[in-house]
Formats: sequence, structure tokens, C-alpha cells
Amino acid sequence: MSSAQPVIKSKQTVKEVNGISTQVVCTEFSNYIFVVLTQYGKMGTLISVTPDSRSNDISTPSFSTKVLLGKDEPLTHVCAKNLATFVSQEAGNRPVLLGLALKDSSIDSIKQMKDIIKSCQVW
Amino acid sequence: MIETQNGDVFEAITVHNFSEKILEQSIHFHVMKLSGGFFLWVGSSPVLSNLAVSMSSKYDSMPLSTLVMGDPSNTAANSLAQRLAKKTKKQVYVSYSLPMTDNNFSLLVEKRIKKELELLPEHF
Repeated sequence: MSSAQPVIKSKQTVKEVNGISTQVVCTEFSNYIFVVLTQYGKMGTLISVTPDSRSNDISTPSFSTKVLLGKDEPLTHVCAKNLATFVSQEAGNRPVLLGLALKDSSIDSIKQMKDIIKSCQVW
Repeated sequence: MIETQNGDVFEAITVHNFSEKILEQSIHFHVMKLSGGFFLWVGSSPVLSNLAVSMSSKYDSMPLSTLVMGDPSNTAANSLAQRLAKKTKKQVYVSYSLPMTDNNFSLLVEKRIKKELELLPEHF
């Protein structure tokens, strides 16, 4: 028995980024936004991007990245922060769980990927 | 199927939702099929409480499983991921986001997942 309305909202798309097929799936949870960004069809490295909780702060909060699963290298943190910060901010500072499997992490590609994530807005 | 310019072929990610009333409670299931594996979320409200990952190993008959997010004292996600990895031979991500942890309930939840696996294996 399937109900008509799933409680979990998700959006997905496939786009080419510099000739590489790139899939994005965004899923909304009440306490997390889950973003899968993959050029391999797999989950890849799992990273959590969390806004540092500093209440009554006027400046925009900073973000912590943590590799939960996969290779923990500096570039992963840079990409994750670059890709997920705006998601968290737009989603009312919810943390973002990011699955990242990229063949190309050039700055130009990351820029395009951000737009693809934006096109799958569920928050 | 998606083919990239350099000739790599992989399956497109698909999403599948289903629900079931189990012991008077509406339980929701969300499956994301990935290449070589799937992500499964189980919950009654849209919270992501934990995440376990499991995959088979040639060195052990039982798949390896680890909790990457959430309370490690709650073993429900871990053991469900492990059993699903064993059954499907795939890499399995499980978020078991249900507040109730009694064994009987978990068993019914697992039964429902296995039924869906048999009825609609293409979604996993």
C-alpha cells in the first residue's frame, strides 16, 4: 500500500558539466538537506556541512565540514563548502549532508554544479 | 542509462517512495537507487537521525557495516544495513529514523522492506 504524498520531498536532474554527465538529487529532511552530486552514479564521499552555532551573531556564520565516509583530503572540504554553504543558508541554516563523486572539481565546473543544485531546490 | 562522452555508462539515479501502516503507525520509506547500491530512509516524520553504510567483503560472510552519522548506541540502522547488504549484495546506505526501537517493530519494518525488494527489485 502506497500513500499518495511521500513525506520526503526530493528533486533530481541530469546535466552536462564540461562534457561530463552530472547527476544531482536533493532531498529535504526537517533537520538536514541531503544533496547527492555525482559524476559516477555513486554516492562517493559523504560530507556533512554544518553552520557553526553562534547565536545573536550579526556576521554570517562560518561552516564546518566533516568527511563522514571516504577520502579526507583538503580539496574535498573546499568543494563541499563551496557547493553546500548557500544551500544551508537558504534552508534556514540547516546542515547539509553531501554525497560527492566528482571527476572534475575545477572551479569553473563547481560553479556550474552550484547552479544545477539550485535548480533542484527542495528547501 | 547515462553514457558520458568518454564512454562510461552508468545507470541514472531513481527515487522511490512507499508507505505502510505498521502497528497503527504510518511508516514511510524512501529509496534512492544508485549505481551499485541504494540509499534507504525509514521514518514516521521527515527527520534524518542516523546513517549506516554496509557492503559485502570477500573476507567475511557477513557484510561490513558502519554508522557514519547519529547515535552509535542505537544499532538499528547498522544491523538493517548489514542484512540488506547481505540480501542484495549491494552497497547499502540506511537511515533508520524511527523513535521506537523495539525488536518486534523493527522486524515488521524489515519485512515490509523485503516485500518491496521482492515486488519491485528495479527500485533498489
